[in-house]
Formats: sequence, structure tokens, C-alpha cells
Amino acid sequence: MSTPDQEYFLRRIRRALNSKPDFSHHGSPLFAHAPSPEELQILDNHRRRTAADRNALLSQLMEAALPIHLCVIPVPDLIAAATAIATLAEAKKPEWSAVKNIIVWRHPLIDLMELKAPLNRLKIPLHRTEPMDPAADPTQDRIEREHLRSAVTASYIGVTSADLCMADTATLVLRNRPGQPRSVALVPSIHIAVITLDQIISDMKELFALLRWDDRFRSEGLSNYMAFISGPSKTADIEATMVHGAHGPREVYLYVVSGK
Amino acid sequence: MPDISPETYVKVAKKGIANPVLQKALAGLQDRFGRGTAEAYRRLPEGPELRFKAHDIREKAIAHLDALLEILAAKIRANGGVVYFAQTAKEAVNYCITVARQNNVHRVVKGKSMVTEEIGLNPALQAAGIEPVETDLGEYIIQLAGEKPSHIIAPAVHKNRHDIADLFVKKTGIRRTTDPSELTQAARKALREKFLSADMGTSGVNIACAETGHITTVSNEGNIRMATTLPRIHIAFMGMERIVARLDEYEILLRLLCRGAAAQTMATYVSYISGPRRPGESDGPDEFHLVILDNGRSRILADPQFKEILYCIRCAACLNVCPVYGKIGGHAYGFAYSGPVGAVVTPLLTGINRAKDLCLGETLCGACMDACPVAIDLPRLLLALREKLAYGDENWQVKPASRMEGLAYKAWSYLIGHRYIYERFLKMAGVGQKLFPRSGTMIRRLPPPLAGWTQSRNFQPLAKETFIEGWRNKKAISNTP
Amino acid sequence: MHRLPIMEFFPKAMDKKPKVTLFIQCLVDAVWPQVAEAMVRVLQKLGLSLECPTDQTCCGQPAYNSGYRREACIAAKRFIEIFEGSEIIVSPSGSCVHMVRHHYPELFCDNPAWRQRAQRIAARIYEFTEFLVDVLGVEDVGAHFNGRITYHDSCQLLRGIGVKDQPRRLLRHVAGAEFVEMKNSDYCCGFGGSFAVKYPDISAAMVNDKVDHIIHSGARAVIGCDTGCLLNIAGAVSRRSLSIQTLHIAQLLAKDYL
Ligand code: SF4
Repeated sequence: MSTPDQEYFLRRIRRALNSKPDFSHHGSPLFAHAPSPEELQILDNHRRRTAADRNALLSQLMEAALPIHLCVIPVPDLIAAATAIATLAEAKKPEWSAVKNIIVWRHPLIDLMELKAPLNRLKIPLHRTEPMDPAADPTQDRIEREHLRSAVTASYIGVTSADLCMADTATLVLRNRPGQPRSVALVPSIHIAVITLDQIISDMKELFALLRWDDRFRSEGLSNYMAFISGPSKTADIEATMVHGAHGPREVYLYVVSGK
Repeated sequence: MPDISPETYVKVAKKGIANPVLQKALAGLQDRFGRGTAEAYRRLPEGPELRFKAHDIREKAIAHLDALLEILAAKIRANGGVVYFAQTAKEAVNYCITVARQNNVHRVVKGKSMVTEEIGLNPALQAAGIEPVETDLGEYIIQLAGEKPSHIIAPAVHKNRHDIADLFVKKTGIRRTTDPSELTQAARKALREKFLSADMGTSGVNIACAETGHITTVSNEGNIRMATTLPRIHIAFMGMERIVARLDEYEILLRLLCRGAAAQTMATYVSYISGPRRPGESDGPDEFHLVILDNGRSRILADPQFKEILYCIRCAACLNVCPVYGKIGGHAYGFAYSGPVGAVVTPLLTGINRAKDLCLGETLCGACMDACPVAIDLPRLLLALREKLAYGDENWQVKPASRMEGLAYKAWSYLIGHRYIYERFLKMAGVGQKLFPRSGTMIRRLPPPLAGWTQSRNFQPLAKETFIEGWRNKKAISNTP
Repeated sequence: MHRLPIMEFFPKAMDKKPKVTLFIQCLVDAVWPQVAEAMVRVLQKLGLSLECPTDQTCCGQPAYNSGYRREACIAAKRFIEIFEGSEIIVSPSGSCVHMVRHHYPELFCDNPAWRQRAQRIAARIYEFTEFLVDVLGVEDVGAHFNGRITYHDSCQLLRGIGVKDQPRRLLRHVAGAEFVEMKNSDYCCGFGGSFAVKYPDISAAMVNDKVDHIIHSGARAVIGCDTGCLLNIAGAVSRRSLSIQTLHIAQLLAKDYL
């Protein structure tokens, strides 16, 4: 499916390059159809990762998180995570309104945390995002989305999980899916993410090797929107003074459930 | 339409040099980012050499630009996005306005993008009755002040906290404060309203990847994520060269981009976007448009001497080490792009003759090349531009910049070809220099065309005897029996 | 363009000392011959036999840097013809060496015969400190100086031919001298050939920064390896009536100073 503007545009490029459509470069293909030896090694390391390796990655993550003001908190189980989140919710003040609201993803890990009970005790309403019916009529669709938008903007804390977390730069990787909207990690003043220890990977190389060649990740690919998040929003646009909370969350907490 | 004024280079440069606030800010910027980036390259597991690999990656991508763009466009369309190929700035701007009108858009929130600056999107939107709101804090400050960005990454580097405080009091009515964190909070609040009420968001594209069919945007503030998540429509503007073939290549470029731009190992937010919200998803834009822009780039591509500048990923690392930029600031360059990259790109995009001071007004010190994450040989490109100005060039419609200078170099080439005559010439000059006022042994004032030297420096006069003469004479003495 | 490696490299500690041919930068020749004289004394002290073609003039850099490639080509051809027979060429100027080593081969990119000749010359030319430290393996030439000194990295020397450590090593061996680094020693001084004349305001701002950093270092003398930069710095120092000495490294090593 090409358009006239595209045809004309690409023809000019071809004329400039003095070339015909071509998918090889100096004899080697432009795209890879199988993992490179380096990627095979990375994938192999990923598969063979031991408990000790994982803990080492966690330490690396915590170290990388420090300078970028990401709080990484290892917790033994989901109950502990829920308790910690409730404590945090109690201590923090909402930024944009007088009342506290919290919005959380519909996600197996977060569902299992059962945040509802401790938050109920604090009288903080909990909103949960739900996947929408893809076949819903447009009006229904719009109403549901507006509903989400107002819940997100009213919340001072958003709780999400993540697909993976890269240890060397302390970067969360979130892919878009129904029921897991990206605004939850963006619009509230505080973003809390909950992951398990085995979701920590080493670096971007490993992430991309998984996304390209590992069947568990490949099927979904990068999705239509994948985000890397490394700590809270920041700016240094005024006299190069670092300020957190330019537009995105001012604080980011990452609970890592270690299963111990 | 964009406001282009490279002709005023010298005039605006002088103003910059005379501005103490700017001088302090630029020195601070270069101390921090210039040095920081070099250190960040050193810390790469592959070392600074990785830049040469990145250079090859970019070279390959540009050599296959047609194929890569075609694949990218097909994938984005398959994901429900719309791709528009704009030949000129005007086409790109008109496309944006058409989409805005069709969707009854009143307000556009803009993620930071130099390409939209290049095409003059803001004035065009305003003229069409649509409110553009810059959301990057630095750009927001610049927009409030009605000025132009002076740095690719730190657009408001020329303003200090007092300027910004006054500006905010006047334009937003806040209580006066000079605390950067309070000022940021004020902007955060004002812009949150804009994000939530805008109908359209725009962004640039840092790097696209053909293999996956994504564009990516990189920011620290989160404004680009807001602008591409909350409004109904997202339009991304991409210079046609900003693409690589594969994800593993993209990985290398992203790491270098973060280091080059802000000496970071990773920016706070990197977003990979391949299309609009899908069915069942409850946020993200309903429509996603990608505008791919030529605007003079295919002409650069066609010239093997200049195509290397298309490898640029607009990280601004070259600005942060350039000793000339460090004194004159970004406004002198008269266009969206400043510093060494601007000195090369602006003449090529807007005309070499009119931007001749950009081509000539550097020292070729080479610091930019060492800072460039994709190792672009910027000094070579400047030299190639100077060559066009020296002899003229039909292809680029360049007229020789100075016939006098051309003749002078012709004479010079004759002179240095004949040592005897050359020495006679020096002798004459040696006599002539006696006419000029001195302080001590040094000459205090010279006439044009050398007057520039003595404007703020003394001049070491020619020696009585050249070294070679002395050598010859000594030889002659030692050879006489 | 990737930079050419030095193709022929003379091993350190040579049995036979090479015959050295001097290439004297035109600025040194005409304006500051003391620099070349000092270099000659240092090299002679090391027992080298020297020769100096007396029909040499300029390597062509001024034309090249202003975009006058054709004129630069004329200069380059002449240079090659004069120096082709030399075993090893030594020059007290990093920018000229950069010109010969890297730009000559590129100037003749579509002339294979000349390109080959250019490459042969490119492999045989050395900057003075590079020659002392890398080729001869000499770091101490028995110089002395009383007081604090600092060093300015000339652009083409540092980034063009990668000479950074060599002069510093030599300076650290100067008896009685206290070597300190100034801030931004690797920043361009604002010389840039005709740039200094065509863009005097920008150039002045740059050289005044340089002088400020020199003052700040507390040094009595600033040392460099390229006379273009040194004339620029000396000119500003003199205009500001400062008592800082501006010396080419050869002058310091030959104890040719006040
Ligand atoms: S030329 Fe290189 S350093 Fe300058 S902006 Fe482009 S990529 Fe960055």
C-alpha cells in the first residue's frame, strides 16, 4: 500500500542514491533472519540464570537506581509489597487535589497483592483499569475511556507492573496491552511498579535479543507502544539545576518480589 | 514560515559574546556536558571506538534509505498509522494543519522537536488559528518569551533564573520566585492543564527502526510521553534520515545518543511507537500520523561529499564542546540548528552563499568530531563547504564568495612556488611593517585586511632574517675553505 | 574519513641514528626563527645529523583550510618533490604534520600516482615532540627552567595527530619546572588561520578565555608546540601587558628563553 507522495519521495531518494530497491549491504543482508553468535550467547545466559545470578542483577539494579532517584525495594512476597504500598500511600500527600485516589493495573501480580483491604482501612478508593471490549460500540468505548481518564487524573499514585527491568541502567520496560494503559505510569504524581526477581535482565542487548528471538516475547513484539522508564521525570532546563517531576511522576518506587 | 537568518552570524555573535549571563551559562554547559560526554564514552564497555561502529551503522542505513523508509511506512500502516511523505516544509506544515482542521483541533501540545522548528510549525499553526504549546520546559520558557531556542537540547540555556522568574510573573501570573524547583512546579501545573485539554500532540523522532516498524522519542521530562499519550491525535515529524535497519543497531545508537546528548547512560523516558491505540486499549491516541520530511535532504544525499551529515542524530554533543559555540551561543547561527552541526546543515538546507559565515566562522579545531556519537567528520564537511565558496559550484548554485581572496590565493600559490621571490616578498613586507605603531617589539595596529588581528592582540613582526636564510648563510660560511 | 595510521614506525632505541630533514613551518621561518634554531640545537645535542632543503616554503595549509584546494595541491606537490628523498622529516608544527600526514593523501584522492607519493611522505613526517618521545625514546633532554609552566594543546596536534602525552612527558622532565595543567588546555585558542582575521570578535573572545586560564594556572610560562597558536596567545598576552612568557617547547628544551 503505497501513496503517490511516497512514490515520488522514494524515487528522489533512489535517484540520489543512484540505486534500485535493494535489501543487501556489501553482500550481507540488511536484516537478520537468525540470532547472531553474540545474541545466542546472551539468550543462553538468560536461560541459565541461577538464583545467585538474579540476586547479583538485583544488586546491580539497586546500584544503578541510586543516582537516578529510583527507589528499589526488595520484598519477600506480595503481602509485604501491599503493606509497603499502603504505608507509602498513607504518608504521601496528593499533589493535585485534597482527596486520595489510587489507580492500579489489571495485572495478575497486582491482582494477587490484594491492595484493596489495606487501602480500605485507610479509606483510599482504589480504581482498577479493565480491558475494554474491542467490539464495543464507539459511544460505550468513549465513555469507558473518559472514565479511565478521570480516574487516572484524579489519582496521586499509579501502580503498574512491568514486562522486564534492565539492571545496568535501572530501566523498566512496559509494553502496552488492553487493561494496562500507559497513563497509569505517567499521569499520577507517584508511580509504583511491582515485579518479580526473575523479570530483571541485564541490559538492552538482552532485552532486544529476547524481543527478537525468544518466543515468549517475540509473539507480542514491541507492541504498538513500548516505554522505557528510568526513574522519576526530571529537568535541568533552569540554570542546569536538577529538578524532579517536570511532567511525569515525581517519585518512582520499584518493589521487587524476591520470593524469599 | 520559518525565520532563517544566518546572514547575521557576526552581529548576533558579538551580542552573545557581550552577554555575561550567556557566557556563564555556556561555560557551565560545556564544563558539564562536554566533559561528561567524553567520560561517558570512555566508560562504554566497547570504549569510544563504538562511535565508529555507529558511523558504519548510519552509513549503511543511509545507503538503503529508500528500502528502510518503505518498510517503516508499511509496518506503521499495518498497525493502523498514517504515513505522509512531505517533500517540503510547506507540505509538512499543511498536512498537519489539514489533519488538525479535519479533527476540529484547537490546541496542540508539542514535544520537543527541532524538525518542527525547521519547518516553522508554530507560526503556521498560529496563523491557522490553532494554539501550539511547547511543553519541554526549556521550549516553554522560550515560547513564553517569544524567542528562539539557542541549543538543541537545552533551548533556554541563555536565560537565568531571574529572567525566567520575571517572565513567569508576567506571563502566568505566579508569585515571584527564583527557585528552579518552584518555577518548574509552576510550569508543570500550567502545562498539565494543556496536556489534558489538547486535541493533538506532536513530537519529533529521535531514531526509527525499520525492522520493528517503530519510531522512538527520547526525553527526560516526560512531556513527550504526555503529548503522545493524552491527546486524541499524535503527529510525529521525522527527518527522513533518522532511521536504522535493525534493533541491535538501534541499541548502539540509543546508548550513544543518551551519552552524547546529556552524558547519561539512559534517558528517563524512551518510547517506541508504531501506531495508534488498538482495540481494547483504553488510552493512547485514536490516530497516529508519521510525517517523513525531505526538505532539502535528498539533495544532500545526492552529493557524496555531504551525505555524511545525514548520519547526524541531533544529539547536540558537538555544541557542548565547540569553542566557537561556547562563546557565541546558538542564536548566531540563525536557524533551528546551531553549533558545528548547524554550521554544516544550515548552509546545505538554506543556501551556502547566504550562510557563508557559518561555513567560515570556525577554527576547524576538531573537538566536535571527537564528541560526535556517530563520528561525523564535521571539519571535513566544513572544508568541503569552504571549497564551494572558494570556487563556486553550479550544482549547489554557489557563487565564489570573494574574487579578491581567490586572486590572493592564486598569487600566494605562485609565491610559495618560488623561494627566491618569496623571500624578496618577505623582505619587502619586513620593510613595510616598520610603518606600523608598536608597543615594545610587537606591532599594535595593522591595516586591513589584517586589522582584525590587531583589534585585540598585538602582532609579532617578521624576523629580520628567515630561518632558511640563516641556514643557507651558515652553510655558505662552513663551506668556504 | 578514517585517519591513516603511521605506516612506517621507527623502533625506539635505534642502532643507527636516522638522518633528519627539517621542515620549518612558514610562520616559524618568517616570524619566529628562534623556534627552529632551538629545535636544531636540541636535535644536534642528541647527536643527529640534520639537513634542511632551502627551497622549502609552505605546506599549503592556509589555502587548504580556506577551501582553496587547487592552490593547496600546488603547494603539496612542491612539498612532495622537495622532501621525497628524505629519510625522516621533522617539523616543529603539529598542524603542518597533520596536513602532510592526513590531508595530502586525501588531496590526491583521484590521482593514484600522486596519492602514492603523498602516502610515502605521510609515513615519514613527525612532529618534533612526537619524534623525540616516540621515535627516539627520549624524554629528558637536560633542560631546566625556574618556575611554574603550563601547556596548551594545539588542536591539530592533539586531535589531528594524537599528540597529547609526548610534550607533557618532556615538560615533566624539565629540571626546576613545576608543570601544572590549566583549565580547558584542549580548547582551541581561537587562532584558526585566517579565522583570527576574519572573525576578530569571536577569535578574541576565545584567546582571552585561553589567557584567563593561563593566568589562573599561575604559570610563568605557557608552552605550546604550534607557532600559530603561540603567536595568537603571545599577541593577547602582550596586548594585556602580562608578564607571562609564551614559548615553543623547543625553546624551553633548548633553554632559549629569558
Ligand atoms: S553532528 Fe554528531 S554530535 Fe553534532 S548533533 Fe549530530 S550526531 Fe550529535
